[in-house]
Amino acid sequence: MKVADLVNADATLISRRAWSDERVYQLEKRGIFGKAWLFLGHETQIPNTGDFVQAYMCETPIILARGEDDDIYACINSCSHRGLPVCRADHGNTKRFVCPYHNWSYKVSGELVAIPQERMVKKGPDKSVLGLKRVPRVESWRGMIFGSFDENIESLDSYLGDMRFYLDAFFERFPAGIEFMGAPHRWVIDANWKLPMENQLGDVNHGPYLHAAVIPPEANQEIYDHGFSVVPGPGHGATFRLMPEDVPIEQVAWGFEGLGTLLGGDEVQEYLCEVQRQSAERVGAIRSRMKGLTFGVYPNLSFLWSNTSFKVSHPRGPGQVEYWSWAAVPADAPDNIKKILRRNYSSFFGPGGILEQEDAESWMQQYLGSAIDFADDRCFYYGLGLGEEKPHPDLPGLVSGTANEYYARAFFQRWRDALMAVEDDHA
Amino acid sequence: MPDQTIPDQLLLQHKVEQFYYREARLLDNRQYQSWLALCAENIQYIMPARGNPLVNNLEHGNESMISVERELEGVDSDGCPLREESYLHLALRVDRSFKINAWAENPAARTRRIVGNVEIIDVDGEQLSVTSNFHLFYARPGAANFIYAGQRRDLLKVTEESYQISQREIIMDMADVRVPTLGLFL
Ligand code: FES
Ligand SMILES: [Fe+2]
Repeated sequence: MKVADLVNADATLISRRAWSDERVYQLEKRGIFGKAWLFLGHETQIPNTGDFVQAYMCETPIILARGEDDDIYACINSCSHRGLPVCRADHGNTKRFVCPYHNWSYKVSGELVAIPQERMVKKGPDKSVLGLKRVPRVESWRGMIFGSFDENIESLDSYLGDMRFYLDAFFERFPAGIEFMGAPHRWVIDANWKLPMENQLGDVNHGPYLHAAVIPPEANQEIYDHGFSVVPGPGHGATFRLMPEDVPIEQVAWGFEGLGTLLGGDEVQEYLCEVQRQSAERVGAIRSRMKGLTFGVYPNLSFLWSNTSFKVSHPRGPGQVEYWSWAAVPADAPDNIKKILRRNYSSFFGPGGILEQEDAESWMQQYLGSAIDFADDRCFYYGLGLGEEKPHPDLPGLVSGTANEYYARAFFQRWRDALMAVEDDHA
Repeated sequence: MPDQTIPDQLLLQHKVEQFYYREARLLDNRQYQSWLALCAENIQYIMPARGNPLVNNLEHGNESMISVERELEGVDSDGCPLREESYLHLALRVDRSFKINAWAENPAARTRRIVGNVEIIDVDGEQLSVTSNFHLFYARPGAANFIYAGQRRDLLKVTEESYQISQREIIMDMADVRVPTLGLFL
């Protein structure tokens, strides 16, 4: 198997094996998850010294914590003695992680502080080199914390590039920024990690079909009429509607649309309209008309603007994903509004969601279709809208209508290059 | 229920159990529209999230140290419950179930519920507070079989002929969500 055979030159054809082959997955670990910036958590989850949450970088368990010096640390959750996870809780606040097996204990920032057996041996080990392994690079942008195993990776700012323009269209609407509500919902799905990601990078085109039982036709019409799919840089993606200047404010207000409006009630509508009224001043004229849909950040973070949730697609082998999702809300919204907004996520997305159950079923079925035999000569077709993406005077990146699958082709071109870069290494 | 005679208590227990058996039968028969009629229009339908919080050693020796409650992120928490729905949400789910493009359940999943441990916790005028446990077998064509287990904490409103569910809180027992959906009627 050669990586070059999995994705053709313009990425209009993708091999089934890209989704289902264990060897491909091993290359993804080294070429992508060992090298990219991976999302770890949001600063609002760990506001105080000693606060921690668990995270993953691919399959490697990470503790994300605020240390005694108030800095943020990310360490691999594995004891230097025999490798047990030293932290067993999802989140909390503590001074020390005490490993269950022999009680070596660590600061939340990873330093080893005590070895109980030390006093019973003549020469104690050098604790300064036996701390938890640190994730070598940790950076944040707008409160979003990322880590990378590649010491030499470019800065997070430059990695996100023009994606920041689109993320800011949301973040910058709120004077106090956003906050994550509670622990993520963690949902194990028998699917490949790339499909949930692809879904959020730009696949709004499945909405009117897969979700026809729930999404009203007017909502789909709005996407046909005003929808954009943008690739700010290969592997990233943003979809949104750019509403005309003269539509009534409630039609532009982000978040609650169609059913959401009905279920959310008047108080949330008023709140959203108020946010919208101030938006031109905060994010500029163009971005204030932006009514977001799905956003994706390479390789496995996504943001669903319409239902305000962040998601991470953590691989668990080629055929399984641990899909995490959080409700994200404006940090300075009143409590009752935050609760209505979190419900606008959980009712439609996440493990109990009305909509996402259909997606999860499709993702599982796609994995089965990727793993079948006698069809390797029939690659998956990714050619819709080939070459239709163009620069735009007001929007950075390459821009097109939502049916163009360029977002996926650009992702797979980057994916292919990342895997080719490591396929001849002898790891 | 100290002010009730034993025969009254037995009768009440019987009526409540019959209500739950009927509810389970309607759901397993996919008669979701009939099921919805068992829900009050002001129903609160909640599934708290359930995590693994840090155990507090200061509470050692006390039952509170490992209580189920401390694992739950419910409606009043700053976290995010798995579900917190109104009658409209449930009606939307019912509506979806009878459309051809409810693809997660087309073909429909087979379910079988066993409801038990029905315990009437409190009677307050026209309102009963009842807990019950369930095991649900769930099979989607072409996929594995799944078992859902949990507890339901209900408020039942007494009606002329039976009861209506005015609040339901569902405590799921799975540690990791390894099922195709938590969006079922539980
Ligand atoms: S394995 Fe952690 S202390 Fe021995
Ligand atoms: Fe979808």
